[in-house]
Amino acid sequence: MSYLNITEVESAVTSLAAVFPTAELIELPEPSVEGRAAHALRIGTAERGANDAVVLIGGVHAREWGSCEILVELAADLLEAHRDGTGLTYGGTSFTSAHVRSILDELDVVVFPLVNPDGRHYSQTVEPMWRKNRNPANSGGDPARIGVDINRNYDFLFDFQTAFHPAAGPRVSTDAGDLVYQGPSPFSEPETRNVRWLLDDFPRTRWFVDVHSYSEDMLTIWGDDDNQSAEPPKNFRNTDFDGKRGLAGDQLYAEYLRQADADDAGVLAEEFCSGLKAVRGRGYTPMTAFHLYPTSGTSHDYAYARHIVDTDKGKIHGFTVEWGKSFHPPWSEMEKIILDVDAGLVAFCLKALTL
Amino acid sequence: MSTYEILRVRVTAKDAETLRALLREARPDVGGRPRQGDDGSFSIEAYVTPEQTAALEREGVSLTTLDEDAAATGRERQAEVGEGDRFAPEDAVPHGLALKVTDA
Ligand SMILES: [Zn+2]
Repeated sequence: MSYLNITEVESAVTSLAAVFPTAELIELPEPSVEGRAAHALRIGTAERGANDAVVLIGGVHAREWGSCEILVELAADLLEAHRDGTGLTYGGTSFTSAHVRSILDELDVVVFPLVNPDGRHYSQTVEPMWRKNRNPANSGGDPARIGVDINRNYDFLFDFQTAFHPAAGPRVSTDAGDLVYQGPSPFSEPETRNVRWLLDDFPRTRWFVDVHSYSEDMLTIWGDDDNQSAEPPKNFRNTDFDGKRGLAGDQLYAEYLRQADADDAGVLAEEFCSGLKAVRGRGYTPMTAFHLYPTSGTSHDYAYARHIVDTDKGKIHGFTVEWGKSFHPPWSEMEKIILDVDAGLVAFCLKALTL
Repeated sequence: MSTYEILRVRVTAKDAETLRALLREARPDVGGRPRQGDDGSFSIEAYVTPEQTAALEREGVSLTTLDEDAAATGRERQAEVGEGDRFAPEDAVPHGLALKVTDA
């Protein structure tokens, strides 16, 4: 075995859809900047949209290679175990055939393993440390200024210079030469728009997990500041707090999150970590995304913010997995990490069914 | 293939503000997330050229080299990426890494 190249991530997805009647191939509406098609899988026995959905995405940051394999192998595990009526064993973590059946019967599991194919291809064949997509539109012809950070391109506090305190030091940039360049406008990138489309196309999405590396953490919202559940007016839409967000441990601002939602997010993050830990003892930490510095335009904050901005949309709990301790570990180590994270994700899905 | 040199370093600052200022001013490429030490220090991993390390060195900050040539390590990993398409044969499909176990 070895890491999957971008052709193989695509053919893994299409081959699973061809072999398993419980897998439906979903073509994303937009090709990447370099013209590559993208596909997702819906896994479930019910009609599309009949159940609540959990949407899992990976391959957003080009160099975090193993995220794609984590999602491809998870899909393969669930489909094969369901067809054959078996359970799944990941090291010390086991799930019964009834567990597998309940996930497929009661959820739409939507798996989109490679959001940024151009970036992955460039990272796997040219520059291993590449992070962004490969959009040259804002580069002025300078190769060092190519690419947008897709996970800063969502519509959440996109105007960070207005939103944050001058001393907050958000990890995002308006400079195309920067590694965390946000792009010229929210959803300027086709890769980001594909993720939004997926959430729109599954209006019953209640959980969203973006798989990244690294740090062995399971992140919950928010990423722009500390959380609080006591003062609803302190929220990302309130312009009274422009220029005050993003400082740690201060009294100026903390982002409002309903207590019940904070509790549910914490329960799911804990469940992910305990399912993962039982595999071989790796201790991932459930924590909110804000730590030391704020971020804007990230997927998990956008996913949750949607129902606040547009009350017609359903509430989505957003999460980000940060697996492992390096961007591309030797494949032999990556296989162990895949077992860890997939066990955590199965546990996450089972817990989600109870909420 | 890239040819330039990148160091993987752990940047440890004596407190949160020192690390925050360093990240704000030097804007290094970072990996992983900040970690707090028992002594109140904060650290994070960074990927920098030898020239960029000079911008990180300052009062209250120590650097530990974790990988003297992260670019070479990356190129080694590129050799662990599949070639062609292992799922091209009609019956080829990923099987997942979990054991498929019949219920006891
Ligand atoms: Zn990432």
